[in-house]
Amino acid sequence: MITLTHFLVVSACIFCIGLYAVLAKRNTIMILVGIELMINAAILNFVAFGKYDKVNYGGQVFAIFAIVLAAAAVAVGLAIILNVYRHFNTINPQNIHELKD
Amino acid sequence: MNTFLHISPVTASILVTLLPLFACLVQALIGKKSISGNIALVAIIASTGISLFGVFLPIWNETTTLQKWAWFTIGERTLEVGIHLNNLTVLMQLLVCIISLPVHIYSRAYMKNDEGIHRYWMYLSLFCFAMLGLTVSINLLQLYIFWELVGFASYLLIGFWFTKETAVQANKKAFLINRIGDIGFLIGIALVYAHCGTLDLSVLFNQTGTQIAIDKNATWVTFAGLAFFLGAMAKSAQFPLHVWLPDAMEGPTSVSSLIHAATMVAAGIFLLCTVFPLFNDTVLLVVSIIGTLTALSAAIFALGQYDIKKVLAFSTISQLGFMMVGVGIGAWNAAMFHLTTHAFFKCLLFLCAGAVIHEMAHLKAKAKLDIDPQDLRHLGGLRHFMPKTFTCMVVASLSLAGFPFTSGYLSKDSIVITAYEWANHLGGVYVLIPILLTIVSLLTAFYIGRLIFKTFFGDFKYRSYIDEGIVFHEAPSLMLVPMFFLAAGSLFPLFGISLTDYHSAWIMQTLDAGTHSPILAQAHLFIPILLTGGAILGWFMGWRWYVKQKYPLSENNRFVHFAYKQGYLNEFNEHIFVRGTTGLSRILYTFDRYVVDGFTKLFSWLVRQLSVVAYWFDKHIVDGIVNLLAGTMYYIGHLVRHVQNGQLQTYLGFALTIVVLGLLYLLIK
Repeated sequence: MITLTHFLVVSACIFCIGLYAVLAKRNTIMILVGIELMINAAILNFVAFGKYDKVNYGGQVFAIFAIVLAAAAVAVGLAIILNVYRHFNTINPQNIHELKD
Repeated sequence: MNTFLHISPVTASILVTLLPLFACLVQALIGKKSISGNIALVAIIASTGISLFGVFLPIWNETTTLQKWAWFTIGERTLEVGIHLNNLTVLMQLLVCIISLPVHIYSRAYMKNDEGIHRYWMYLSLFCFAMLGLTVSINLLQLYIFWELVGFASYLLIGFWFTKETAVQANKKAFLINRIGDIGFLIGIALVYAHCGTLDLSVLFNQTGTQIAIDKNATWVTFAGLAFFLGAMAKSAQFPLHVWLPDAMEGPTSVSSLIHAATMVAAGIFLLCTVFPLFNDTVLLVVSIIGTLTALSAAIFALGQYDIKKVLAFSTISQLGFMMVGVGIGAWNAAMFHLTTHAFFKCLLFLCAGAVIHEMAHLKAKAKLDIDPQDLRHLGGLRHFMPKTFTCMVVASLSLAGFPFTSGYLSKDSIVITAYEWANHLGGVYVLIPILLTIVSLLTAFYIGRLIFKTFFGDFKYRSYIDEGIVFHEAPSLMLVPMFFLAAGSLFPLFGISLTDYHSAWIMQTLDAGTHSPILAQAHLFIPILLTGGAILGWFMGWRWYVKQKYPLSENNRFVHFAYKQGYLNEFNEHIFVRGTTGLSRILYTFDRYVVDGFTKLFSWLVRQLSVVAYWFDKHIVDGIVNLLAGTMYYIGHLVRHVQNGQLQTYLGFALTIVVLGLLYLLIK
């Protein structure tokens, strides 16, 4: 039988993969992908913990909200990346270090 | 008597003194544009005229006059300068003028064409001014100032040819040795001032009885007398301070004649005559002994000299010794008398020697010979070429040797006879002094005879050059005229009509020393005979030795060598004083170098080592702590600053790390 722990483990794995992508990828698009993975890991947790609210299905509802918000956030992120590319002619985050003091 | 423009003798005397100074200043201003010496000559002619008619005739044997002006005041006491005219001072001033005048005229010919002649006239005028001022000074300090000026002027003149090394050495020597005497004089002045409270000669030694009472037996009187005598010793070239005088021959011959006759060396004798009342028996005895020693040693040295001027120099020293004895035995009037007569014949001797040297130098230049024109060994037989010079020189030599009919006969006998009377009065070993003086007189006759024979008799070595047509002639008339004038002055009529009795000479009659030993009638008879006979014998010996070539001594005789080397006195001085001083200074230098400097160096070394330690401490400990702190801070900052690299992912990673660490902390807690 598939228990809560299985969900959580899968979720943690996805989160870690997403985290890795965010920290290590040399392409901003892939970082955005990593962020999506991490969001999806969180949403998976919402859905998994949703079994404790069988009246309102609060977990499932919140997950749908989160999916919509994530889609919107990705749209904004892509727009930023497009502008960054226009400005720097690259989307490699290592070459973009204007944040340095 | 005062018929000369009706000016007072004091004013006249000031004029006499200041004219040469004026000439000196004018000559100094004009410089090379005036080389004739007319300024100096006019000044000295005027001085001589005024001195004779305006000063000497009104004062001599008539009156004593003086005038004082306040100079400055120290506390209660006022120092005064002024003019003091009495028999002694006017005689001396006139003598200086009369001797300077022919020397000036002679110099016109002798110094002609010399490159530095404008300087020569300047110095000569300065010299005359200093000596003239010295004679009439009323104040011992004023006298001392002129005394120093005389020394300075002689320094300039002796070193006149300053490009010659020997001349420079000679004037340095003269100056240094005179400094020794000056110290003595100064000590004397100080002692007199300390005990009497005045330096005014007219107050100190007033013959009219108002003089300050001086206890003659007091110790300070002896010291003061000896101090004054030390001053006179250096100035008047007394043994052993005479060494500067022979070397002073490096100056022009005309200057030598002036130094030796009336100025410079005469100043010492004059000083002793001036302060004579101060001397007590001890001092007078010392004066006599030194005088005798000087006379004897110089006469012996004169025998061995080859330089014509050095023979004359030693004869001067010897005669100065006579004068010293004159002062020492109390007969300072005899000393002054001898000084006066000596001035004439010694000046003449030098001028004649100068004429000979002048002509020899011409011959040397024309014939291109390499000889010393002053060396007696190169001279001989000159009487055929220079008969007038020869005559003058013989007259002067006879006077020096003390032959009858000359002035030297009178004055020298006066000293020797007075010395016999003095010694006879005192008895005992004092007799040694007149006996030595007699011997010196005979030696004098011999060495001056030697000079005459070697110069004017015998064969002239360089006759062949004259035969070849090189002209060797008599001195020019400008040189001969002063010589004739002095030759006339060297004969007896100028000083007294009596041939034999020096008491009747006018100088002796007026100047009264006031101290008389009992007169010995026999002395007045025998001593002149002895001296004259001895002198003739001396000349005869000289004739046989030098003219007839029967010279009995070998060149290398020890005695001859001793005399030639001047008794090794210069060598003695060199060894004892010069080497002693240099040795002492070397020791002091070593002390200074190693001990004094050593301390300084040791100290500075210690300080340096200390500073090295301090430096190390500062660098490694003080700086170390600060640097360590700063380094630590830097390192910490260095560690953190990698985070702030502008990389988005690094920031995220860092944030993650912190979150993880925070979670761990929460878990472990």
